[in-house]
Amino acid sequence: MAKAVAGMEGVTSALNPAAVERIGMSEPEWLRERRAHAWDVYERTPMPTIRLEEWRYTNLKKKLDLNSLQLSDAEAMSDDASTWPERLRAAMDEDREASGHIVIIDGHVVHADVDKQLATQGVILESLQEAITNHEELVREHLATDAVPAEEGKFAALNAALWSDGIFLYVPKGVQLELPVRVTRWLSEAGTAYFSRVLIVAEAQSQVSYVDEVLSDDFESQTYTSTAVELIAREGARVQYVAVQRLGRGAFYQSMQRTLAQRDSKLDTLNVALGASVTRVDLNARLLGPGANSDMLGLYFGDDDQHFDFNTSQDHVAEHTSSDLLYKGALDGASRAAFRGIIRVLPGAQGTDAYQTNRNLLLSPESRADSLPNLEIEADDVKCSHGATVGQLDDEAKFYLMSRGLSLIQAERLVVLGFLGEVLAKLPLGGVVDKVTRVIEQKLAQHG
Amino acid sequence: MPQNETIQDLGLDEYKYDFVTETEPVFRAEKGLSEEVVRQISAHKEEPEWMLEYRLKALDVYNSKPMPKWGGDLSSLEAVLDEIYFYVRPQDQMERSWDDVPDEIKNTFEKLGIPEAERKILAGVGAQYESEMVYHSLREEWAAQGVIFDSIEDGLKNHPELFREHFGTIIPMHDNKFAAMNSAVWSGGSFVYIPKGVSLDTPLQAYFRVNQERMGQFERTLIIIDEGAQAHYIEGCTAPVYTTESFHSGVIEIVVKKNARFRYTTIQNWSNNMYNLVTQRSMVHENATMEWLDGNLGSKLTMKYPSCYLIGEGAHGEIMSIAYAGDGQHQDTGGKVVHVAPHTTSSITSKSISKGTGRSTYRGLCKVHKGARHARSNVECDALLINDTSRTDTYPYIEIEENDASVGHEASVSKIGEEQLFYLASRGIAKDEAMAMIVRGFIEPIAKQLPLEYAVELNRLIEMEMEGSVG
Repeated sequence: MAKAVAGMEGVTSALNPAAVERIGMSEPEWLRERRAHAWDVYERTPMPTIRLEEWRYTNLKKKLDLNSLQLSDAEAMSDDASTWPERLRAAMDEDREASGHIVIIDGHVVHADVDKQLATQGVILESLQEAITNHEELVREHLATDAVPAEEGKFAALNAALWSDGIFLYVPKGVQLELPVRVTRWLSEAGTAYFSRVLIVAEAQSQVSYVDEVLSDDFESQTYTSTAVELIAREGARVQYVAVQRLGRGAFYQSMQRTLAQRDSKLDTLNVALGASVTRVDLNARLLGPGANSDMLGLYFGDDDQHFDFNTSQDHVAEHTSSDLLYKGALDGASRAAFRGIIRVLPGAQGTDAYQTNRNLLLSPESRADSLPNLEIEADDVKCSHGATVGQLDDEAKFYLMSRGLSLIQAERLVVLGFLGEVLAKLPLGGVVDKVTRVIEQKLAQHG
Repeated sequence: MPQNETIQDLGLDEYKYDFVTETEPVFRAEKGLSEEVVRQISAHKEEPEWMLEYRLKALDVYNSKPMPKWGGDLSSLEAVLDEIYFYVRPQDQMERSWDDVPDEIKNTFEKLGIPEAERKILAGVGAQYESEMVYHSLREEWAAQGVIFDSIEDGLKNHPELFREHFGTIIPMHDNKFAAMNSAVWSGGSFVYIPKGVSLDTPLQAYFRVNQERMGQFERTLIIIDEGAQAHYIEGCTAPVYTTESFHSGVIEIVVKKNARFRYTTIQNWSNNMYNLVTQRSMVHENATMEWLDGNLGSKLTMKYPSCYLIGEGAHGEIMSIAYAGDGQHQDTGGKVVHVAPHTTSSITSKSISKGTGRSTYRGLCKVHKGARHARSNVECDALLINDTSRTDTYPYIEIEENDASVGHEASVSKIGEEQLFYLASRGIAKDEAMAMIVRGFIEPIAKQLPLEYAVELNRLIEMEMEGSVG
């Protein structure tokens, strides 16, 4: 009896088979089946506990109360920017230049535009719900199949069962987007669970960068957002994915990402986590064809009681692939960060170059960092290394700056910015660097 | 080093410890683990009642704990344990004079070079054969200064208060499944006490030998280094090669008191059919230093993570680990440093070599507790892979609760570079020899810390193993 109950963990008055049925009501049969299957996996999979290596540092019993969450009942806002929240518009105004925009408010895609010339070349940027109608075969082939299927785990299954909308980006062979695609999201309903997905397919020799920013005010009660991100780069494609998380307190941000890099492709990611009460990012990079490369960057800045948990893996499946991971964070107040990363070199993946570095700066006595960089190597002709450090501000650097006339506080800010700036310098995407630097400066101003 | 001569002297061209001695034990318990076996062990040792109760309680704890799901492959271990003899008593009493040890056993250890080593340099020697210490001796000068170097059984008999004060406090029976098992069936091992201010200038050495087939050895060692004292303890382990699996699970508890200094060296060269699951832990007090030098060359699977709990201000812990995993071997080793007090420092250096289908895993923990201000720790792991079927893993846990701690971890994995081989070839050095040379250079920082005879043996082993590994 106890076992049957355990298997049903996470089934609530809002998250249940009826909700799955309702969301999929007008969808094609294959998708409704996919949702039902995902729900099945969700029910069967026990809730992860800290006894699992992957969840060692985030105790969901304390951090997430699924029972208190409702699904969104917000109506879709109009595609009229003047009706949108002020902060959302401000975030968009900071970097207007783009190949296309998507705006998502409370789970609904309210706006989508794409450069006309790119559209004629076959670039698709639209809501996932529209793509099901307009590009059914493409979506059917890739959605929750190769990259983030329900079988990935409890939360991947929950997302695959209950996602309401998301983004579909398709770049045809040889098409190169000079400007990034910009997605801006806004969440407003406290106590709500949001589920969305991102699916990006970059065909051979294409090029695209994608920036996804999510914002909100503080929430009075826990608000949960789950995103499944599936990135596919075909032969020789170049893809950059950037996620900037600037949610208010009270938010539980969860992102499950997988990148599939085929021969000679370059598939880079940057995860910036500045807001929310809890951040959990699962990122799995798979290097599937010779010559594939992934740079994986991460940056986080915590204060108060913010909690960050990054769980990354670099899977070298084919020979002559490379990956380089750099996650850096500064922690103030009583904030806490955990990094768990693994490099896996599979048998036969000769000629792998894989690196992994996690560095933490503890700015206050109450902050805490845990780091677990792992290696599993099953081929011999490889170059792999990893490093992790936890430490405080460099006294010498501070002293030098102060000898140049800076105050202690100014010197500290500069050292932190320099420490985190290394990550941004590796992916100098227009708009992103300035914006993230500004937010960090605001946070540092409170450090005083 | 002048290795050519010494290596030839050793004449090591195969696993040289693969010989069996015909001995008739005076008592052998039924195979498998049961309450009956535990009671028999306790009765044979004429133990006080509290120890029997302790053992029986530990047996319950063992039975209540699940098999670990992490580390090496333990899936067939339960079946192996059913076939194992947990207690084999080779003779009725422990000898103090080498001449009194029965000839068969004496021959075994003479083949292993033990009395010779004693004559040469050691302060004291102990030898365990199957389940019991068969020989223990300590130089007169040290005994006169109050040094105790005895079998663990005699420690319990002759120094009951000191024994009871520390036994099971550093590694409680609940710590893990195999610590519980050892707490139930422990037999043999050393009891060491170094009094205040006494410095042993030569090492104590204990030698562990499993001779019989399907044998389980469960030594228990308790070492207390009193304030300001210094000592070095070396253990060596071997067994013959059988087609069935054997089992070794030791528990080593160490207390290093204020300003004391202690080094524990293990050279484990068990045969490749041995499960070797060992718990080793030290409590390091104010300004004391603990060093583990851990060499894992043999066994089928070793899971062993020597640890230092730095509980006194200014305590220092150091773990140097070297592992060699050949065909079919899995060395799952590493170390733990736990910083509890302020101004504590530690370092872990791990080097591993995987060859053939061998797998070496580094698993470690560096933890800085709240209150351990200004803790410093550095961890370095390097792995060398010889063949494309070899495997290596690194799992370092770093958990920091103090912001003025400084903690770093670095690991690298590599194979022997073509350029290195090419360079040596251009200097007229054959490939086999070049490989061995590079591997020796790789392990040198740790190998040079080993007692000479072990360093020589390690070098020879590597030379032998590298033969035919090119191509």
